[in-house]
Amino acid sequence: MKKFNLMFVAAASMAALAACSSGDEEASGGSGAEGSADVDEITAWAWDPAFNIAALENAKEAYNGDGDYEVNVIENAQDDIIQKLNTGLSSGTTNGMPNIVLIEDYRAQSFLQAYPDAFHPLTDVINAEDFADYKIATTSFDGEQYGLPFDSGVAALYVRTDYLEEAGYSVEDVTDITWQEYIEIGKDVKEATGKNMLTLDPNDLAQVRMMIQTNGSWYVEEDGSTPNIAGNETLEAGFETYKEMMEADIAKIVSDWSQFVGAFNSGDVASVPTGNWITPSVKQAADQSGNWAVVPMPRLDMEGAVNASNLGGSSWYVLNVDGKEQAADFLLNTFGSNPDLYQTLVEDIGALGTYSPAAEGDAYAVEDEFFGGQQLITDLSTWTDEIPAVNYGLHTYAIEDILVTGMQDYLNGAELDTVLENVQGQAEAQLK
Amino acid sequence: MNSLKRIFIYTFLSVAAIVSIFPFLWMLTSITNKSVDVTQGRLLPGTHLIENLKTLFATVDIVPALINSSIIAVITTFLTLLLASLAGYGFEIHRSKGKDIVFTILLLSMMIPFAAIMIPLYRMFGSISETAPLIGIDSLGAVILPTATTAFFIFFFRQNTKMFPKDLVEAGRIDGLSEIGVFFRIYMPTMKTTYAAAAIIAFMNSWNNYLWPLVILQSPEKRTIPLLISNLGSSYSPDYGVIMSAIVIATLPTALVFFLMQKHFVAGMMGSVKG
Repeated sequence: MKKFNLMFVAAASMAALAACSSGDEEASGGSGAEGSADVDEITAWAWDPAFNIAALENAKEAYNGDGDYEVNVIENAQDDIIQKLNTGLSSGTTNGMPNIVLIEDYRAQSFLQAYPDAFHPLTDVINAEDFADYKIATTSFDGEQYGLPFDSGVAALYVRTDYLEEAGYSVEDVTDITWQEYIEIGKDVKEATGKNMLTLDPNDLAQVRMMIQTNGSWYVEEDGSTPNIAGNETLEAGFETYKEMMEADIAKIVSDWSQFVGAFNSGDVASVPTGNWITPSVKQAADQSGNWAVVPMPRLDMEGAVNASNLGGSSWYVLNVDGKEQAADFLLNTFGSNPDLYQTLVEDIGALGTYSPAAEGDAYAVEDEFFGGQQLITDLSTWTDEIPAVNYGLHTYAIEDILVTGMQDYLNGAELDTVLENVQGQAEAQLK
Repeated sequence: MNSLKRIFIYTFLSVAAIVSIFPFLWMLTSITNKSVDVTQGRLLPGTHLIENLKTLFATVDIVPALINSSIIAVITTFLTLLLASLAGYGFEIHRSKGKDIVFTILLLSMMIPFAAIMIPLYRMFGSISETAPLIGIDSLGAVILPTATTAFFIFFFRQNTKMFPKDLVEAGRIDGLSEIGVFFRIYMPTMKTTYAAAAIIAFMNSWNNYLWPLVILQSPEKRTIPLLISNLGSSYSPDYGVIMSAIVIATLPTALVFFLMQKHFVAGMMGSVKG
């Protein structure tokens, strides 16, 4: 009887496996085979009602094409969008998929590679030269332009001018500096004010990501898939700088987003090096108005490194389903060619696009009282154009998961070379 | 000696109690605070409760989400109880040659994670969307069907049926009840506590179910409560006071169901057959 049971188990699991594989084969043929019929309504998925959703709503009003269709904007959390897209696209069912979807730049290449027929190319629709270079690198694949670049993830150093002053520094002293200079200033600030210079989250290497992009390097080679960890001098410098910050005792350790925001809202840190989308969260603490300034991101102390980097940012994609022509038309006549729309985006929701012609508009020149009258948007927009373009490739988050443990080993005293070689080995084994 | 032991036990229990209750406490104080206070770790009750609730009701459609969640949870619970108890009863009471093999396969299906069958399921529902929109993609029916009964509940009912006095079945048959009659008129009333326990688990599972509703539901007006909360937390600058308010509202129904049926729940989990 036992034997019989075992055989049944084996048979059942084989049947299950067989079912899986045959499903995949069919799936790959299913997508993209739809016709190009006109539709009355197109659907767009994005996250964050205060930012991307608001941007879409603005775009609907600003639409100046002659298409006759409704745009149905649906809000989903970013992780939810990834889950839904992955499920829908891998099942090969276009049913229920949106026409336009927002994808974070770090993840774009993996979607484009995994589902090559699922996206509708925009090469002939938009003018790639109108957008920041570094965005084009992340939104195109295999010679075709798939994404319409949206928000700038330009990174900047948000500093508390009052704390700096107390330690004897001015805003100029932290402008265009290296991370080493930043650490020295941090030590003085801590001595004078007792405040930490920044927050660090040991489980999130955003800090390292921003550092290495200042020198045009990434976790993967140019091809987007070969891990570039061992022997990557820029990454080594990033790791060393990270450790120096930890050892200089100028970092407050946080473990999640709310602690991160809490740290600067409650005045516990003297600076926040991060993406410009943090502006609304910084301004949330209205009592700190006038005590903040924004300066370019510090750079790694290396030949060729610049004071400009990026964190996050995302772009619009059109799925290859019924209504793709309308979707492309909508994007072209809004985010793709309408500088006025970008003015309202800046004014109404503080969303900074990467459409270069928009930078001449009035809204970009507004002086922000919270930041001591700084022309924040103009500054950020200028820095956006200087961000070194890198190919984020397919595995940013997968490699970072491995790097996080590597960083822990390194902080605990392991040799940097050994750590990075281990990470390289693990990454190669996992991502084959 | 004895009192020392007591002190130790009570200290341990108190610490455990605080650790498990603290998140709830924090949730409850957070709904009365501004987002910025929540991120700064304020633990005292504030004065922002009304504003948080106002913002919540103004920014998201929480009432339709509650209705959707309720419809799905109630129907799923009803179907689970009916189908799983019928199956569990059949497996235990009726004799048949292959039933152990079938049961083994059924139990094996418990070991396949849902994520593994999700894509084939999505494909299946996608292929019937045109012909049967009521159970196609983006319908409440599609949320209910795959979860309407699971191997776990069949197993649960079968195990509990082992305690069911089989003489009652014989007695019923002798008194002229049909097989269906035996099930509905003898088995069901006798197994009340088992049904209560299963009802609580099924309701909670369904109410908190996230992954499947997430992928299969597309229209905002069909969203369930967990999806709505997930959205609330997705912005670059989330309003924690409002999120916590939504979470409290979402927790109330499960807490209510649990407290109403708590007595039966404990008895049912212990496999009692007292009617």
